[in-house]
Amino acid sequence: MRSRVAFKILLHDRSTTAGALIGVIAIVFLVGQQISVLFGLFTYMSVLVDHGGADIWICSKNTDNINGAGYIPERYVDRVSGLAEVAWAEPLLFGGASLVTRDGKNEAVQVVGLRNPRGAAGPWRFYEGGQDGLLEFEGVTIERLDAKLYGSPQVGDSIEIGNVHVRVSAITQSVKGFAGRLVFTNMVKAHEIIKSPPGRCKAVLVKLNDGVNLQAALERVRSVLPGAEVLSAAELSRMTRIYYVKNTGMGGSFGLSTLIGALVGIIIITLTMYTGVLQRQKDFAVLRALGARKLDIFIIVLAQSLMIGIVGVFIGFLLLAGFLSGTLDSPLPSYLPLWIAPVLAGTTLAMCVLGSLLAMRKAISVEPASVFR
Amino acid sequence: MIQPILQLESVTRDFSDGRTIRRVLYKTDMSIFPGEFTIIAGPSGSGKTTLLTIMGLILKPTEGEISIQNERVTHLPENRLATVRQQKYGFVFQQAELLPALNVIENVVVASGIQGQKVSAGLRKKAAELLDGFGMGDCLSMTTQQLSGGQKQRVAIARALINAPALLLCDEPTSALDSESSTIVLDALKQLSKDTTRGLIMVTHDPRVFPYADRLIKIENGSIVYDSRSQGAQEA
Repeated sequence: MRSRVAFKILLHDRSTTAGALIGVIAIVFLVGQQISVLFGLFTYMSVLVDHGGADIWICSKNTDNINGAGYIPERYVDRVSGLAEVAWAEPLLFGGASLVTRDGKNEAVQVVGLRNPRGAAGPWRFYEGGQDGLLEFEGVTIERLDAKLYGSPQVGDSIEIGNVHVRVSAITQSVKGFAGRLVFTNMVKAHEIIKSPPGRCKAVLVKLNDGVNLQAALERVRSVLPGAEVLSAAELSRMTRIYYVKNTGMGGSFGLSTLIGALVGIIIITLTMYTGVLQRQKDFAVLRALGARKLDIFIIVLAQSLMIGIVGVFIGFLLLAGFLSGTLDSPLPSYLPLWIAPVLAGTTLAMCVLGSLLAMRKAISVEPASVFR
Repeated sequence: MIQPILQLESVTRDFSDGRTIRRVLYKTDMSIFPGEFTIIAGPSGSGKTTLLTIMGLILKPTEGEISIQNERVTHLPENRLATVRQQKYGFVFQQAELLPALNVIENVVVASGIQGQKVSAGLRKKAAELLDGFGMGDCLSMTTQQLSGGQKQRVAIARALINAPALLLCDEPTSALDSESSTIVLDALKQLSKDTTRGLIMVTHDPRVFPYADRLIKIENGSIVYDSRSQGAQEA
């Protein structure tokens, strides 16, 4: 009966309920949107590592983020290829260059050179064409979301990157990086565009044979290449993200806006629920006179806050899903890992309870004797 | 010999504004018996509502003891007092004080389920029968806003009766009603007072209600100045 009373009061006090619901929806949507953008940026930061398909990355010594890796000898590939644990090893080259747009402007791009025919760490999603396009000597990919910026070149069109004429052989879909707009090409052309030292690359990607212990393999590779930084893909990805969060102020900025979103929500919930209890003081006094204990009144207000929380979380997640769907193939980075959803829902419900504490306090302090005055 | 349902022994009540203490109820001894319509009358500020709330276990007395069906309840903790109120008391307030969020039948059963008890189909049937008995059988699903003042008060009486209380306490239940509605409500209360398992106490300042009383108690300045029961005994 207590939860029914709570529910019926919520239905009756529509404006109060709507106000509190808006607070919850604000928390879920604003915080969820901020988190999704942060995680979207995270995926951009370590995009090459995450999509590289390798278990181990070999970089220059003391590399703390993939985009800051220095050059290493390409012959490291041969040094590790012969190890029993290794299925394959491939070099990877990347570096900045200028792409000349159709109207003559220069746009900074990140050129990624892959070794054919495996093309490890190549594009993972295509809008037009495919990985085969990179087998062409002058072939490069451009990103569909960046194409307009370049003057909308089509597959087959010639463009100029780093004073080198290349040909668009494929268009990728939502393949974006943090350090620059990604342009993939073969290793030879990448050397030519980036003007990197011959016989050098930025990383060597190592894929282990099935069943090989990663830690043991890492130790083995480290013993073979003591002058290089040998990291698991997961470790390098994590280090890269931490590097950017620490050094760009991004963590603080997103943390602050997330906190503000949560605070705004809590304030709205607190004020509306408190107002609701003020309007219903007489009802609570009547219930107390009829035999309700303070605990029963507490349960009614708690049930109200949880009901508002559950409905608000549901609506908030619907809006968030709309946002994520709408930004899926847009320039705005957004990605919400599945584990965030229950954490966000649980935190929001906790915030609802927190926001209703003042209202609970007021409700349980109502004197039943006031009905007789 | 009929046992009293409610007994007050040397009950007093003081109120304090932080600086001065004001006694609003002087030493009062009283026994309420079943099957009696007891009316407590007095002018505004006489202490009759304070007495009623003390009898209803809503206000604690400053001194003295309260017993219900021979069980001392004065020093029970607040939660236990709430349970005693739910199980043994029915309240009818000056205004009906129905919950506007609930419909008519929910307003009646709420008194049974407010401590988390399940509201069974049997209880709803009992509520419907009570409401039907007060001529409200067609209004079960109505909202309280659709009811007249008299109808609301009849729903409030049904709510007070749903737990089959030993005591029915009414705080000027007709003061906000027109004369026709007042008569209906008073007739209903008079009928209920004939139940020999229940005591009925009504507080009022309206002398037109006195003829309904089996026992009339008058209170002035916090003291009982007249009790028809003891007066009758003295005369006898």
